[in-house]
Amino acid sequence: MAPDFLLWLERTTGSIALHESLWVYPIVESVHVLTLCLFLGTAVMVDLRLLGVVLRRVPVSEVLTRLRPWMMAGFAVMIVSGGLLFYAIPVRTYLNIFFRIKVALLALTGINAWIFHRSIYLSVAEWDLALVAPRRARAAGAASLFLWAFIVVAGRMIAYNWFDPPEVH
Amino acid sequence: MRTAIFALYFLTIIAAAPLRAHHAFAAEFDANKPVRLEGTVTRMEWINPHAWIHIDVKKPDGTVEKWMIEGGTPNTLLRRGFNKNSLQMGTVIIVDGYQAKDGSSKANGRDLTLPGGKKLFLGSSGTGAPRDGRDPTESKR
Repeated sequence: MAPDFLLWLERTTGSIALHESLWVYPIVESVHVLTLCLFLGTAVMVDLRLLGVVLRRVPVSEVLTRLRPWMMAGFAVMIVSGGLLFYAIPVRTYLNIFFRIKVALLALTGINAWIFHRSIYLSVAEWDLALVAPRRARAAGAASLFLWAFIVVAGRMIAYNWFDPPEVH
Repeated sequence: MRTAIFALYFLTIIAAAPLRAHHAFAAEFDANKPVRLEGTVTRMEWINPHAWIHIDVKKPDGTVEKWMIEGGTPNTLLRRGFNKNSLQMGTVIIVDGYQAKDGSSKANGRDLTLPGGKKLFLGSSGTGAPRDGRDPTESKR
């Protein structure tokens, strides 16, 4: 069963207003998917540059710094809109196995990005112009691509699978 | 080799795309399992992305079966003549719908009939209702 906190959250004015809303909920859903496109579209370009697939003649650091504002803006709005979707339906979302998988994968992408920036990327000056980045940078790019692909699939599955709490039946 | 891996990666994503067609009726409900349920409303969940009507259905042997009927979004239902307070607890309604594929007591609602005979469409996502050809009084388009 869901924690008391979520049972309380579901009864707050904001949560009720969101899940009963006529327009706001579908708009938040749309914003979530659109900003996912902005974030992931740019993140994929960075990952593919690391793998030596696209923009090979552009320095890695330039691809990253030029795309980062778009990536971070998309990410921020995506996280806020995703948070609102959770806030609207907290209990069923918490009980949803795909939501739990998604949260675990999100944590892994965070760790992946953190390791990348704290290790191999520190020496980017040495391989900035390399057509194909060093093995550790390629591994980070590949991990990001695959984790995000599964996050998108898990997110889609949340919307199509209802996990009703027992007392609802 | 690298090209092959990326071709495979993008093909997988493209292959997954049709799954995004919104709220797949066919993923959860079976158009070949129509049900007609008469029951007492125990709860109306006026929620996005789909409303749920909870009813107690009395079976011929006297036992009560609890059913959950899926409707459209609050917005869809409002445009079909519902509001949050349309279904009070204890109202006896007749629901036409399609049962869940897994055989559980859940159905995708096509329409419901209120005690006075008034009918409301439930905004079913699946069969194309209300224009699924089952209503003889409906004009053909």
